[in-house]
Amino acid sequence: MTAQAASPTLDFEYVMSPRRRFAWLTRFIRQQPLGVIGVVFIAIVVFCAIAAPLITNKDPQGFSSDVLQSPSGDHWFGTTREGKDVFARVVYGARVSLRVGLATVVVSIIGGTALALLAGFLRGVVDILLSRAAEILIAFPAILFALTLRTSIGKDVPELGWLGLSKGEVLVILAICVLYTPLIFRIMRGSVLEQRGAQYVEAARVVGASEFRIMLRHILPNLAGLMIIVTSTSLPAAILTESSLSFLGVGVEPGTPSWGADLSGKAREFFVRAPWIAIFPGLALSVSVLAFNLVGDSLRDTLDPRLRGRL
Amino acid sequence: MRAYVIRRLIGLPVMLFLMSLLLFLLLFIRPGNAALAVVGGFNESAREKDFEHQLGLDRPWYVQYFDWAGHAITGDLGKSLKPPRKSVAGQIRERIGNTVEIGLLTISISSLVGIAVGIISAVKRNSWLDYLLRVSTIAGISIPNFWTATLLLTLPAIWWSWTPLAPEFVSFTENPIKNLGIMIWPALVLSISSSAYVARIVRSSMLETLYSDHVRTARAKGLQERVVVIQHVFRNSLITLITVIGLQLGTILGGSVIAEQIFAIPGLGLLTYDAVLTLDYILVLGTVMVFALMFLLINIGVDILYTVVDPRIRY
Repeated sequence: MTAQAASPTLDFEYVMSPRRRFAWLTRFIRQQPLGVIGVVFIAIVVFCAIAAPLITNKDPQGFSSDVLQSPSGDHWFGTTREGKDVFARVVYGARVSLRVGLATVVVSIIGGTALALLAGFLRGVVDILLSRAAEILIAFPAILFALTLRTSIGKDVPELGWLGLSKGEVLVILAICVLYTPLIFRIMRGSVLEQRGAQYVEAARVVGASEFRIMLRHILPNLAGLMIIVTSTSLPAAILTESSLSFLGVGVEPGTPSWGADLSGKAREFFVRAPWIAIFPGLALSVSVLAFNLVGDSLRDTLDPRLRGRL
Repeated sequence: MRAYVIRRLIGLPVMLFLMSLLLFLLLFIRPGNAALAVVGGFNESAREKDFEHQLGLDRPWYVQYFDWAGHAITGDLGKSLKPPRKSVAGQIRERIGNTVEIGLLTISISSLVGIAVGIISAVKRNSWLDYLLRVSTIAGISIPNFWTATLLLTLPAIWWSWTPLAPEFVSFTENPIKNLGIMIWPALVLSISSSAYVARIVRSSMLETLYSDHVRTARAKGLQERVVVIQHVFRNSLITLITVIGLQLGTILGGSVIAEQIFAIPGLGLLTYDAVLTLDYILVLGTVMVFALMFLLINIGVDILYTVVDPRIRY
């Protein structure tokens, strides 16, 4: 095969200078100011999660006699009915949201993509079985199914201490993964089937590449763009689902600072007297999810304008 | 067309069977729990065994499942595990109306608002108005409904000592006006995110067709801009719109658990929630399967609507 015969896409890839490789980044910053704002807010949330003890010297779980204090210099966001500092809880709450969100998305993207590759390549019975299973799981109403799963998986899940995950978190992650993996599988399977018929796959096959090699070396890299987009849309959704479950009282362990859990339970009786307990955790949650969605939207527009509005 | 509908309806029981089997296995994998819950947490193994036997929970799971499924076909979804052991089907019948009402209210509000916002956003694309609407719709899908509901209950109470929470629930048949005065609040809360979704889809799918040839032709032959936008552009978005509205209806029905819990509305969502918390597995099985059935029927309805909207689609 001569150089002239190579497809234009290949040419583009080899001719592209290192500077052009980051062209999309500069374009992103220029064309998507909202995305940049999103990135800034995400950075703040991530910083809160990592550096929580540096930001506040208060213990988010520590009881004190200063109950239901309104926001002041000492307690920026006021205190709860147990005298816990709301600011500390909001800052530490970022940890649960990010941990659960990230873990869910990583597991379900890897799982969904691997299954999609399997279905797309083995086809036949495997494809039918996997697609059917996905269809069944998707047909359950999401929050209700997560609620049922979270309570019935049982308590005997491992505590993944080395990942910093508590038992409650592992349960929530498992429940949300069961919801998200089939959804991601369905998106990815469509793309795998599309790629399978592409010319470059045929070319690879002609050259003698094994099916396995085609799958991992040729198709998988081509799914990367879609994977980034799916990550950016499912991360905020996973954070919302975690907080919804925590709000319903079946999230992470009681007492753990979690934005959703802090809005639920006994605390609700005190919201009218002490609205700051309700306002700040919800605000933190909304702003974080908004930031991720802004970035996701902008990324999608930049990476693949064809997908606009479809995911 | 008719053959297609029949085929879909035949597929329905298969889906329901597989879904209920999966759910059953999930719920019954640890039978001890249910009996323990009824006994009330006392770890008296004799009493527990007794209860298990009474409830039939000591039988193998497949016997239990097919016993349940056999009755379910006839519309008998069994009895709650909790005393006074009311019939599951009866409890569902009592409450499903409220959930469906919230669902229909929500989907009406979000279709109206979402379509209007989407069209304005698309027609005025890249103006400051479009920008504002786009930011609001992203915010709309980002803000959790339980927070907006909480604020709705909290802030007016502080500012004007007024709360949308009714002192007692009134059903639609008793007093429609009073009932709508109660139901409108959860519906409004739930419609924030669904109207935002609808608006985003309408905007993007309209932008796809706004520059196509047939639209240019329509303009060229001198049609009013309004006619072009509605009949030539918006009509083309109907397919995507129907899909989204159908999906949203499913999400809203599921989301009813949060709205009903916050606004204390005796609907199916709240029933399921209570059942999950009290480990009343038979009740959970019944309610979740009813939700699933509604969801599947909506999907079939959506597919049938496609052919109405777009005559090119034939099954």
